[in-house]
Amino acid sequence: MDVLSLLAHGFSVALTPLNLFLAFAGAFLGTLIGALPGIGPVNGVAILIPIAYALKLPPESALILLAGVYYGAEYGGRIASILLNVPGDAGAVITTLDGYPMAQKGKAGEALALSAISSFIGGTLAVIGLTLFAPYLAEWAIKFGPAEYFALMVFAFTTLASLAGKNPVKALIASVFGLMLATVGIDPGSGVPRFTFGEMKLYDGVDFLVVAIGLFAISEVLTLMEHSYLGTAQRIKVQTKLVSMKTFMASLWSILRSSLIGFFIGVLPGAGASIASAVAYTTEKRLVDHEGTFGTGDPRGVAAPEAANNAASGGAMVPMLTLGVPGSGTTAVLLGALMMFNVTPGPLIFQQRPEIVWGLIASMYIGNVMLLVLNLPLVGLFARILTIPRWFLVPAIAALSFIGVYAVNNSAFDLLFMTGIGVVGYLMRKAGFPLAPVILGLVLGRLMEVNLRRALAISGGDWSILYASPLSKALWALALLSLLFPYLTGFFGSRRRPPDV
Amino acid sequence: MTERKSHKSDRITGVLLLLLSLGYGFEALRLEADFLADPLGPRAFPLLLAAALGLFSLYLIFKPDPDPDWPPARVLLGQLAMLVSFVAYSYALAPLGFLLATTLEMAVLSRLFGAGWRRGFLGGAGLALGLYVLFVFGLGIPLPLGRWWPG
Repeated sequence: MDVLSLLAHGFSVALTPLNLFLAFAGAFLGTLIGALPGIGPVNGVAILIPIAYALKLPPESALILLAGVYYGAEYGGRIASILLNVPGDAGAVITTLDGYPMAQKGKAGEALALSAISSFIGGTLAVIGLTLFAPYLAEWAIKFGPAEYFALMVFAFTTLASLAGKNPVKALIASVFGLMLATVGIDPGSGVPRFTFGEMKLYDGVDFLVVAIGLFAISEVLTLMEHSYLGTAQRIKVQTKLVSMKTFMASLWSILRSSLIGFFIGVLPGAGASIASAVAYTTEKRLVDHEGTFGTGDPRGVAAPEAANNAASGGAMVPMLTLGVPGSGTTAVLLGALMMFNVTPGPLIFQQRPEIVWGLIASMYIGNVMLLVLNLPLVGLFARILTIPRWFLVPAIAALSFIGVYAVNNSAFDLLFMTGIGVVGYLMRKAGFPLAPVILGLVLGRLMEVNLRRALAISGGDWSILYASPLSKALWALALLSLLFPYLTGFFGSRRRPPDV
Repeated sequence: MTERKSHKSDRITGVLLLLLSLGYGFEALRLEADFLADPLGPRAFPLLLAAALGLFSLYLIFKPDPDPDWPPARVLLGQLAMLVSFVAYSYALAPLGFLLATTLEMAVLSRLFGAGWRRGFLGGAGLALGLYVLFVFGLGIPLPLGRWWPG
């Protein structure tokens, strides 16, 4: 079947009333979650998983909802960046550079409109890229043997390590910690319980959701206790107006270039929206900023990062869906969610469960249109949400986390475990350990071990099988290169980067 | 950065991680399968992880980063109070029921984030009621009513 008929099948899934509603709900909640500083896409997705699970949604519907939150958050993040100079999420940090100066010049409405359109173009181009590349990548990846898979996962961890934080070793420690958590429970290969200390509750393994919500949401609430800057806007007046054709045309090339950059950076494991927006902004600054207006409220400086971060979130779906190897914290959480629904993403999913992948891809076309509509005329509504006082907002995030975890097993043990993981997450944040590798390790751990053991079973215990084929050699070389990358160039190492989640 | 920062945090973390890798490694060594389905068995992967963690933690001990800015005592006390309230809430949820436990918990948290008790209670009660209606009636996800109440 060619791509178009597969996509048509996808639309027949995405256009059912339930899935249309869920795409809308995801887009709406995503914008909301992105707009609120202090709650990013990864927290939002993590908190919604138990709800989707408890509602017994079919896997494709759950994925449509959760992915909607993910890419919707990249739309919402810009609102606080432009109006408050406080990024709503990590991908929108760069948007403050020109967005806030525009707002100060009285052009907040224009900045919001232009960034919404840029987000739409970036997001939609990324879905087109996903439609075109994903099936080919999946077809190619079917030939991967266990050794190649093992090397690919090592590569995912090393790129994440070199990009996700200041200190690659700390990111590697975080990865190993996540992998260790994944070994808890009954070993699928031999039936031996491992690291359970006789505790029956741990026989099924560490609950992915409890870890995800504790690690991201609870640690976030603890971190927010420290910050007083999370100001709530007193009065925000936003004129909902459209951007002039002239401004739009002046930014069009920046938007298109940034969308491409964003998509390809998103596809890379480990690099997500925040890196994409930074690279797009610096590229545009070098290419088109002849008058030195970037940083003083140049519309192109708003359009570029917004196109890039939305394209990156679409691009990040490519390795998650086709290889089953996510490249960022949020896609790792999405992958974990799919596994809860007994779906294992990877090349085979395109053949075995086409309704899931193509339903999702089709829903992303629809979701981006919905997001454009939500974010153009209704932006004033979302801006008003920024006036929710902090003393109400933060406790509400905590309450939702508790309900989410409790809804899965009705167990107080899970709540305590979540709190404990939250403390670990907080200490990790403080000490400069990125959180995304932990969740990636937890999600990929079993798969990584299974592939290692399969490879060694094929070779009869000969470890050289891990680097026998040319493809696995190439993957090991890439992994090594990505680890050396921060030391080889000052480009990524010298700049302070926000954590990518 | 003119003042010299100490590197204690990473060194302590490194030592703790080294202990974790040793403990995890020894626990892994004790694993034995009754039959061997594959040449590696249940031990090899955990042992690899333990070795990797041990190596990385040594790096951390010998090449630590400067200490982060730990929050002042006032904030630490607030965070501690928050954690105590989380633990209390975990135990109180089933007996007290969602509505009462959540109202109390939200009042405490709102207070910690700078609201007065009155606002905290009102906001907390509103939030608890709203979430209860949304989850139980809107989404059909049951929340505990409380064991201590008749009916």
